[in-house]
Amino acid sequence: MQQLIRLSLIVLCVQLPRLATAQGLMDGFMKGDRKASLAVTYSQETYNTYYRGTTPFRDPNLGTVTTQAVNLYGIYGLGYDLDLIVTAPYVRTEASAGYQPKQEGFQDVTAALRWEAFDYKFGKSRLSWLFALGYSMPIQNYVNDNMLALGQGSKNIDGRTMLHYKSGGFFLTGQAGYIRRGPVTLDRIVNVYDPSQVNPNSGMKVNVPDVAEFIVRTGYATKRVYIDVWGQQQTPYAAGTDIGPGIPFPTNAIGFRRVGGTLFLRLVGRLGLNFGYSTTLEGQNIGKSTRLNGGIIIGN
Amino acid sequence: MTYTSLVRNLCLTLLLVGTGLTGCKENTISEGVLPYFEPATTDADGGTWRTVLLSSAGSITVPTPTAITSDAYQTELTSVKNGMLTSTPEQNTAVNYWGQGGVVRWNQIARQLVAKYNTAPVYNDVTGQYLATDPNAPVASLPFATRLYALLSAAQYDALVVAWRAKYQYNRPSLNRQNIITRVPVADVPSYPSEGAAIAEASAQILTYFFPNEADYIKAKATEHKQSQLWAGINVASDVKAAETLATAVVAVALNRARTDRFSNSADTWTSLKAKAPYDVTWQSLEIPARVPVGPLAGRVKTWFDSTAVTRLAPVAPPLTNTTAFQTSLTEVRAVADSRTRDQWATADYWNDGLATYTIAGHWNLIAEQLIQEDHQNELRAARTYAVLNRALHDVTTTGWQAKYTYFVPRPAQLDTQIKTSVLMPNSPAYVSDHAAQSAAANTILTYLFPVETTWLKKQSDAAIISTLYAGTQYRFSIDAGSQLGIGIGTLATNWAKADGAK
Repeated sequence: MQQLIRLSLIVLCVQLPRLATAQGLMDGFMKGDRKASLAVTYSQETYNTYYRGTTPFRDPNLGTVTTQAVNLYGIYGLGYDLDLIVTAPYVRTEASAGYQPKQEGFQDVTAALRWEAFDYKFGKSRLSWLFALGYSMPIQNYVNDNMLALGQGSKNIDGRTMLHYKSGGFFLTGQAGYIRRGPVTLDRIVNVYDPSQVNPNSGMKVNVPDVAEFIVRTGYATKRVYIDVWGQQQTPYAAGTDIGPGIPFPTNAIGFRRVGGTLFLRLVGRLGLNFGYSTTLEGQNIGKSTRLNGGIIIGN
Repeated sequence: MTYTSLVRNLCLTLLLVGTGLTGCKENTISEGVLPYFEPATTDADGGTWRTVLLSSAGSITVPTPTAITSDAYQTELTSVKNGMLTSTPEQNTAVNYWGQGGVVRWNQIARQLVAKYNTAPVYNDVTGQYLATDPNAPVASLPFATRLYALLSAAQYDALVVAWRAKYQYNRPSLNRQNIITRVPVADVPSYPSEGAAIAEASAQILTYFFPNEADYIKAKATEHKQSQLWAGINVASDVKAAETLATAVVAVALNRARTDRFSNSADTWTSLKAKAPYDVTWQSLEIPARVPVGPLAGRVKTWFDSTAVTRLAPVAPPLTNTTAFQTSLTEVRAVADSRTRDQWATADYWNDGLATYTIAGHWNLIAEQLIQEDHQNELRAARTYAVLNRALHDVTTTGWQAKYTYFVPRPAQLDTQIKTSVLMPNSPAYVSDHAAQSAAANTILTYLFPVETTWLKKQSDAAIISTLYAGTQYRFSIDAGSQLGIGIGTLATNWAKADGAK
């Protein structure tokens, strides 16, 4: 049980900018009653191709976009079946060509509750059914209507359910989630012609499209080592726009398909190191990015 | 697990699942609802106001209408009454839409079309190609847009002056005075000819000339506008017919001007203009790959106001790049760009009005629209407001463009590559700032027409003028020269408005 609790820190809830990787909110390993941990991670994500709609596009006026982030991720076990997760990143995004300034600052803070509702044991295997509910909001009023924006700037509610199967060291988790994104107010009046709009040019408040998400994760977890591979599919649910001149960025319909892997090594006592890699296979209004991250985890 | 805890878990599960499935349909853009108003004045002397395109309102004769006692008229009137009794939801929607004011609605349509056509070719490095653009579609850059707004507003205004003259010449009683209650509030003016139909016909023909690909859409809108006057109980069919005829005559004069105002022809190409520029370091396109600048020959267009007076307002020569004055300005742009605050970014973004928007002129048209509604202006007054404003904005653009493509002053980032801009770099030379010029002119004119909003307008105009410095795309000397130009042409326009017969 100890190693399970320790290894639940692996998956990093990093609500990175919409043009960077946003991994799954959490995994299936519960923390344990009154146990806590903190992870500090550094990540770097780059792309030079992005998707306008679903068409890959490379803009010479943008060059290569690099996003660096430092993320804090903490978990506290409120009970044996209930965890509190809080995370906050500091992000910097920069383009190698053109005249766009870099964007830098605190992004969104997220708080979530994860509840292990049911579990079934058969032989040496265990199947658990979990639910999670999270809320995220911007920490500061960052620029959201820009190619290099730190995020969309919306307040979101995130609901998930997952099935987590563990047998010996092997585990398999399937997760389905829905992120309800709230409206944002732009700095400017929207000019994009929307046939449902009776009075044109009257709005600065726009809706950010919701997304549905599916994640599958499988791997091997022991006391000292954790290794996994995962696949994530995010699909826009509500109607949205595509990246284009004059189109506000927060209204774009964002989707992607990513795969990646994680490695965790327990060093000594309560200290561990983790590494991660991911790449984008397909996307919609997002960068075709590759991401590397590494960090330390302290806790039990 | 006990039975009670199982039930508790199940209930909580269902609650969570239910919460997660509330993905309801939302509009992309939130908008407010505009109130209706009865116009504040009827302007019985409207027919005597000075016209813009026509030599006088009397140069177009509107035929005498049939008497209201005649069978023909009574049949039309009954048809309108019956139509109102059997109106459909679509008709009511159209009545409510056009009831906001025909001039205002057509200005909105013009702004939407400008935004749709205000594009630039986008280059995709992967394919090595530009994204496809329709070779038949016009590029609605600022010179194109201001020319369109000016011509549209002038045609609407002249058509309404002619209509008003005929209204009070023939005095056919409004339908409200014949015991028909109109669905939306209207000015108590004689009904023949129909002001709504005059606006619809004039606007449709002008917009179709500028956007031939949109002919079907525009025609459908115009037909709906004209019919809504019948559905609302404002006019009868003969009112509409007469208005269509007079509007067509006015548009003929307008399009004659459009064909002869030198917008599209010139012997020089822009590269030879650049070679002759009396300036040391000339502008280069900062796009990758470099692109032809926006509307280089638009400064040769015929002006609306007296061309001698306008020429006198042309900006003075800008300081050369090796002078102290220029270097101080450049340093200032860099300092502002390096320390740009969130509020400065928001101001720059709000007033940017770049690609795929209605342009800075359209932004001031939107402000004029709000003031027109606030002031409860009738159709004639609304058209006059737009006509004065847009002609001035066009002349400002023309003069500003002359300066741009005489001196070819480079944008700040061309000389100091560390200057980062918060907006996309405009693909045209810097001097003078068209944001400053347009805003100063609009402020002068709108303050004259709506003095109650002087303080608010000054605040808007100050923000608009400084916005390009915050964005990092303009120098302060360029903004100052632009403001001066705007105030000068704005004054020409207000002098015209003071003497045009409206009080």
